[in-house]
Amino acid sequence: MATTEALAAGTKVETSGSRSRGDVGFYTVLALCAAAFLITLQVIFFKAPVESSMGIVQKIFYFHVPIAYSMYVGAAVCFLGSAGYLARGTRGWDALARAGAECAVVMGVLVLVTGALWGAKAWGVYWTWDPRLTTALLSVLIYMAYVVLRAFAGDGDSERKFAAALGVLGATNLPIIHYSVQKWGGNHPKVITSGGGGLKHPDMKLALMLGFLTFTLLAVVLIWTRVRIELAASRLSEAEEEALELGVGEE
Amino acid sequence: MSADQAGQQAPGTAGQGTADDRGTTFRAVEGGNQMQSGEKLLVEAYAVIWIVVLVFVASMFRRQRRLDRRIDTLEAALQKARAKSGGE
Repeated sequence: MATTEALAAGTKVETSGSRSRGDVGFYTVLALCAAAFLITLQVIFFKAPVESSMGIVQKIFYFHVPIAYSMYVGAAVCFLGSAGYLARGTRGWDALARAGAECAVVMGVLVLVTGALWGAKAWGVYWTWDPRLTTALLSVLIYMAYVVLRAFAGDGDSERKFAAALGVLGATNLPIIHYSVQKWGGNHPKVITSGGGGLKHPDMKLALMLGFLTFTLLAVVLIWTRVRIELAASRLSEAEEEALELGVGEE
Repeated sequence: MSADQAGQQAPGTAGQGTADDRGTTFRAVEGGNQMQSGEKLLVEAYAVIWIVVLVFVASMFRRQRRLDRRIDTLEAALQKARAKSGGE
């Protein structure tokens, strides 16, 4: 009786404690993200001028590039979490890796789709085996493999370690994506480094900077939410195991 | 005129000449649109962004629902155990 009450009470105390710590920070980031979205949309559509050669479709650029950057953020978080899990072996690092991988997949899919739509206008084709496109697709497939592995291969220690190794190795493709245009050329413009993408006007630069801020905040919100769910699930699993050990819920 | 006749006459009435002409020359059409307008592609890109993000948020909501169900089961088991030990 005392142990079951302690188990229940302990779970409740931990939940309320972590809530009070994280809630203020989370809602602050969420509010900032919402405000940044509104301001960014306003600047992109009403302030930034239409580009002379490409026309209005160039406005995809203000989200496409920040989304690519957010994919890097997700992949970097996955790398960090995976390395942390391999070093420490705690569920927190594993949750961080899993959240980062899912964020990388979401942002990666968006990069490929928005890029294809822009390419339809700029190049006349949705897809071409350009070095940057190919390496970006490879990265998305790596993180999809990670997500599928975690979803279907169980949640044992060996599965988590295997996934962590994939998370660490998957990050090696990120610098290859980044330097693919400089090394191998191709159709993809050297967007930021050579001032491409039609950023001749200060309002265009402002729209891009706001895009970076917005999608960084969105990536933080998505990763944070996913980490919280993952940590709650692992705490619940531990509570269920403990309850079974105490003979609760066996019948 | 039947629909079939109209369909057969359509290329000729457009004034495009013979099949050979159509294969070797391009003529501008007044008021013609591009197949992929920039506006359409822009709207599609923004729609995809919102849809993918919302699907991801919905998947997280579903995960939370699953957690809620597991918590309910655990709470019910705990209540049963408490009632049992209170009765003893």
